[in-house]
This record gives sequence, C-alpha cells and structure tokens, in this order.
Amino acid sequence: MAERVYITGVGMITAIGDDVAGNLQQLHAQKSGLGYTRYIDTVYKNVLPVGEVKHSNQSLFELAGVPIQEGLTRTTLLGLVAMREALQQAGIGDLNAVPTGFINASTVGGMCDTEKVYFDITDPEKDGSFLKFIDTLDCADCTQRIADIVGFGEHIATISTACSSSANALMFGARMIKQGLYDRMVCGGTEALTRFTLNGFNSLKNVDKQFCRPFDQQRTGLNLGEGAAYLVLESESFAKANNSRILGELSGYCNTNEAFHPTSPSPDGDGALEAMRSAMAMSGITSNDVSYINVHGTATLNNDISEGKALERLFGSQVPLFSSTKPFTGHTLAAAGAIEAIYSLLAIRQGLIFPNLNFSEQMEELQISPVTTLMENVTVNHVISNSFGFGGNNASLVISKYEG
Amino acid sequence: MKGKCYIQGMAAISPQPTFEENLFSAQLLYTDNNLLPCKEPDYKPFIPANSLRRMSRMLKIGLTTALKAITDSNLTVQGPIVTGTGKGSLQDTEKFLKEIVTYQETALNPTPFIQSTYNSVNGLIALQQKCTAYNNTFVHRGFSFENALLDSMMLLQEGSDHVLTGAFEEITAEHFYIKSRIGFWKSEQIDSRELLLHNTPGSVAGEGAAFFMLTQEPTDQSYAAINGLKLLYKPSAEKVLSTLQAFAPEVDAVITGRNGDCRFNHFYNIVEQHFDNIPHIPFKHLCGEYDTASAFGMWLGANLLKHQELPEAWFAKDQHPSKPINKILLYNHFYGEQHAFILLERV
Amino acid sequence: MEDLKTKLKVQIIEALNLQDIKPEDIDDNAALFGDGGEGLGLDSIDSLELMVLMERQYHIKVEDPREGRKILTSVQSMADFIKSKQPA
Repeated sequence: MAERVYITGVGMITAIGDDVAGNLQQLHAQKSGLGYTRYIDTVYKNVLPVGEVKHSNQSLFELAGVPIQEGLTRTTLLGLVAMREALQQAGIGDLNAVPTGFINASTVGGMCDTEKVYFDITDPEKDGSFLKFIDTLDCADCTQRIADIVGFGEHIATISTACSSSANALMFGARMIKQGLYDRMVCGGTEALTRFTLNGFNSLKNVDKQFCRPFDQQRTGLNLGEGAAYLVLESESFAKANNSRILGELSGYCNTNEAFHPTSPSPDGDGALEAMRSAMAMSGITSNDVSYINVHGTATLNNDISEGKALERLFGSQVPLFSSTKPFTGHTLAAAGAIEAIYSLLAIRQGLIFPNLNFSEQMEELQISPVTTLMENVTVNHVISNSFGFGGNNASLVISKYEG
Repeated sequence: MKGKCYIQGMAAISPQPTFEENLFSAQLLYTDNNLLPCKEPDYKPFIPANSLRRMSRMLKIGLTTALKAITDSNLTVQGPIVTGTGKGSLQDTEKFLKEIVTYQETALNPTPFIQSTYNSVNGLIALQQKCTAYNNTFVHRGFSFENALLDSMMLLQEGSDHVLTGAFEEITAEHFYIKSRIGFWKSEQIDSRELLLHNTPGSVAGEGAAFFMLTQEPTDQSYAAINGLKLLYKPSAEKVLSTLQAFAPEVDAVITGRNGDCRFNHFYNIVEQHFDNIPHIPFKHLCGEYDTASAFGMWLGANLLKHQELPEAWFAKDQHPSKPINKILLYNHFYGEQHAFILLERV
Repeated sequence: MEDLKTKLKVQIIEALNLQDIKPEDIDDNAALFGDGGEGLGLDSIDSLELMVLMERQYHIKVEDPREGRKILTSVQSMADFIKSKQPA
C-alpha cells in the first residue's frame, strides 16, 4: 500500500505578499497585486500590467538572507525566500538530518538577469563581472543555487512544462515518496518576470492591457506575474513518526497532454477534463466532494473556454465553486502550480473561497461563472487546483483536508 | 532506483552516422574545431511538409529521433512521453532574444518563442502521435535525461505498459562561444578522435538526441534491460567510491563518460580503477560533451549488449571487447556536478 | 490591387516558409486556414505570423486576434484590408 503524502510546510512570495501570511492577508482583503513593472526594461513598462514582487533584487537579497553577490538571479532569490519559509514552517533545521529531495520548476531559468547582459556575454570585446551570469540562463542554475545555499545534497531535479511546471514538480515529488525513494521532498517552482516572456506572450497576442479578467466575456488575455512557492511533502509514516505538523494532504494528481496544438488547448477541454477526472479518482472523491476549484483561469480566450467546457462536462449542472486567483498574482508560469496549491491549502485551512476579481460578464460559451466575492466560514474539504500550459501539458492536483 | 525495465526500441541522431543502416560498418566522423555537429538525416520521410516548414533544428532532431524509436519498437499503443534536455532549442532562444532588440519589442514572430520553451519537443511528439498520456520534461543539465529515466521507471512500476523516454540537445556557434568563456571547451583545437589523449582543461562540444521505448516486459527484440539507476549531486571523490561500493555492480564492461577534461578526470579514474580488469569504453569522442550525452552512452551500451559488437571504426582494435558482455555500468558526470550510474543488462 | 495581391502571396510564402508552394498556386479567394483540404491549411500560429507580416511590411497593426481572423480569411481579404488602411 503506497504511502499517503502530506503537506507539512509551505513558503511563498508573490506580488501580493512576501510570505504565506502576507498572501493570505491580501487575498482576504481582496487586493490585487497587479500594476506596472519597476524592474523590467521594456517598452511595455506602462502599457502591460504585471504582477511584480514589490522588491528590488537588492532588497530580495536581504529577504533571502544572503549577501549581495553577482551570479544570483532574481529567479534564485525569489526561490530562496520561499524556500526558507517552507523549511522553517516545516521545522526543518538541518536538511541533512533526514534525506530530503528537491524538485524545482522553472520556465526560463535566470533569463531575467541574463537578458540584461546577453549581448555583452556574446561580445568578445567585453569583459567584466557580468560573466558571473553566463551559466545562469538555464533552468538548473536556480535549482542548484538554492540547493547549495540551503543545503540540499540528495536528489535534485528541475522540471519545465510551461505553465504546469510546478504542479508537475509536486506530482513527481509525491510519486517519489510513494515509491519509497524518499520520506521527504520539497517541491515547487520559481519564476521571475522577464522581457523575454513578456514579449513572448505579447507576440501570441494574449496579454491584456487591462487587469486580467478570467472567465469574463470581455477578457482579452493574461497578465504575467512572478513569484515562487515550495511545499514540503512527507510520507504519512514519516510525518507521524517525526511528529510533523500536517497541514493537508496531496491526495490526487494527474498529468495529461492535449495533443491538440502547440499553444492552444482543445476547445472542448478534453485534456483538462481527463486531468481533473483522474486526479479525483486517485483521491477517491466524487463530484459532490469537491468544495472548490482553483482554476487555471489565465483569461486568455482559449484557456477559459476550454477549461470552462471541461468543468461543465465533468460536473454537469453541479459545477463546484470556482475562481481564478491570477487577477491577484498575475500568471506566474512555472511557479503558478505551487502558488495555487498553497492557496488551495489556505482555502481548506481558513474556510475561505477566494474571489475571481475583475469578473463582470458571463462568457457566452458557458453556463457557469466564477465566485466574485470572498466567501468566509465555508467548509472546504477537497480542492482541485488546475495548471494547463503550452505544449498541451495539463496537470490537476487534489488537495484535501487532513482529518488527523 | 531499483526495478527493471527493457529497451524495446531506440534511435539516435548524433555526430556519427547513427541514424542510418549498417551501424557496425559506420565510419568515424570527427572534427578539428572542437564542435561535433549532428549528422542530420532527411526529415521528410518522418515529418509532414506542412509541419516541417516551421520547425527549428532541435525540434526536427528531437521529433524525428522519437518517431524512429517508436517505429523501431513496433509498439503502436500510446503511452507516456518523458524527456530531458539541458538547454532546449538554443537556436530559438537566441533568435527571440535578438529579435526583441532588433525590432524594439514590436511585431515579433511568435514561433521562436513557442519553440524555445523546453517542453516544445515533448508537446510535438504528443501532438504528432495524438498521445494524451502523461507528458513531462526535465531540464537539469547532467540530470535531465537521468530524471526522465527515473520518471519513466516509476511510471512502469506504477503500471504503465511502456514509456517513450529520450533526451535532446543542440549546440550553436553562439552558445559554443558563450561556454568557451567559462572553460567548457579545450582552448587548443584538437582532433576529436584523439579527445582522450589531451590531458588539458575542457572538452569538445557535441549535441544529439537519443530516444528509447521502455517496457515492463522483455521480448525477443529487446536491446537490453535497465537494472539500476543512481544519481549523485556534487559528490566528493570518496562519495563516488563509497556509492560504487554500495551499488556493487558486477559488470563486464564500463561505458565511461570520460571527456578529456583534466579537471574532472579523477572521478573517472576512481570508477575505472575500481573495475580495472574489464573493458572501459569511452563515447565522448563520438558525440562530444553536452548535458544529455549519457543518453548516447546508453544507446551505445544497449547496442553492445544486443549485438555483442561495437562499430569497428569507432574504437581502436584493443578497445573492442573480446569476451561476452552481459552487464554494463554506464558512469557519466557533467563537469563534476551531476553524476549518474546506470546499470544495463543483456536480455 | 493585382500587384498588391501578388506581392502578398510572395511575402506569405516567405514568412511561413511554404516551401513547395508558388505564388500562382494560391487562389485570391482560397481559404488560408482550416483543414478542409482546400486552401493552405494554416493554423493559429500562422495567423499570428501573418499579423506580424502586416505590421512589418504594411505598418498595419491588428490588435484583436478575433478581428485578425476575419482580415486573414484569404489573400483577397488581406489586400482589401491593406487598401482600406492606406491613404487613397
């Protein structure tokens, strides 16, 4: 019998807060973190809204507890801030006391910093301390820097499946625990805003000039965001023997592929439907048990139709309460799955359903609409968290209340 | 990772003529400018023209290798697809970075951005195969392919019948230059055939793709079994030795990732000294050094186990095994940081 | 107008790397998109590429992808739109 996988620590930083408590406070206050960038050098500075973490790199060094130095990218620093909180919350002092794996997720690695010096790096005439950033472009750099600073020495990996990256990191970590390879894994992702991704999504014409409006008829696209989040996962037997504080359970998950188009989901949401259905089956729950769905809800034309159709097909006329929290944080790509997994956990622990901000008009293709105001004192037992991305990579997680 | 799985089909595009018939009479291709580029096949028999027109080099190499491995396996039912790549499509990343500057962030072609995402090859394989099963991409330097392999072995243990597992990497002139600035390549230009004779810092750059169809059960056609996998992150030399002792494989040959870089040879020395009476078979003079070169090493090892021979021109006479090879240890590390042991067995 | 359409066809072939197609193979009114077996069988990424073409070559910006799809129905519709945006 495979072990159950419990969540025993969480840490995060996003546009709405530097830690989990800060995020909860802003979610509760229904305050969005969207605005205009202070740190990316782009012609869209005052045109395209983003969910930027409200700290310069200099101030992030302080938050992350490391001396200012070349070679540590914003991606790494955001990850470090979230990682330190997760480990602290899980009561982990010495990482080597118990073999602990680390599965990270990233979409563009240290692009945030390398794009600023890339043309110096490729210019033989130029020399200087920017060379410290040469090897920070790939996705493994941030993982290894974080691992080396906090002391992970066991299994490490980095996953990149676009917008579902950190959901897949959580899944991979949970599976390693169930296989008996490790009793404890720390999984999540980190993403910094870059001119590269901003222009990338803009070239796909799916960035909204207004604050994003998921599941709204008038939506025209997403807003990008940045942040990082990590969850400490432990096997049931270890968590109990170790007397860990169990926050919730990662009770189900599924990864599917759309096999439909390089950047668009199938219009009827086949992949999304299958991901949710299989994750629920693994969790052993039925439609009626789902209290809330933290949808992917990017506010792109295609995602919301596809995801909405999948919800209607799976749940019929009884679609559970759902909302996208991307109007709070922006779409944080590789970090989104882990950030929203923590929001799902917060919904369970605080009895809250978070509002889908900026919604006013139901989509003509759908019969359903999201929760638009904060709901309090709700009994939340099981939450589905969806992450769907480029390349047809879909992931659904089920986070459940721990009834210990 | 314990547990056993089988290589039912495989394919490689590499700097050697690995994609063609008559592997064992293949010539040895080489370079004297420290960069071994892939010998690319004609893609038209594999990819429809309407898809091919937009695809960059890495996507063509990755997708075509994957398709050939699927065909080679004779398996038609869809299963999970798991890959590893350290850098993804560098050509697309470089192109998009440049166009942002050239066109001052306006009217940018989306294609390079889409193809620069690390999971684009995986997405394409799934799309081309109409495969809606599990799909994952690992992007961690010398652990990219290894984690893909671990994921695949777990999927098989969890009940998947078969998994398509692969790795792909490309090198561009620009990235070659970038990495030369931090000592990845030898500063003197060498003949790649003599890579291991140059005891100086750095290696020669390479690239390639290798895909494997892994199954739970063996068949008459199976190339080899994968019988163990062990990864070590930034280990000390002592840790490499103690792991090797604990792993305790009894093998008939070691396939070694030795790459001529004097800064990290000591790790290979430990492993080779531990097995001093059996053949040590290098492969980096064939494929060059890159994040996922171990996938090429595994492809070579699986061929050796199945056919009990190696392409004649690729190795000196005394390097060809003289006794039957039933078990192989593949040991590789990427610039001293990510170390991997893979155990292969004859079926 | 005929000149514009011929020029457009050459530009489309180049922008989308339509290797085996010549300008004269493209009918003015043939559908550019869709899998119907007729027309060019282009997809939504091609449509974004064609919007880039319009912007770079004709300085016409198409903001809304929904609007874009209508403009990009055929070579004829693209030419009509370009004409309508250019000073008489």
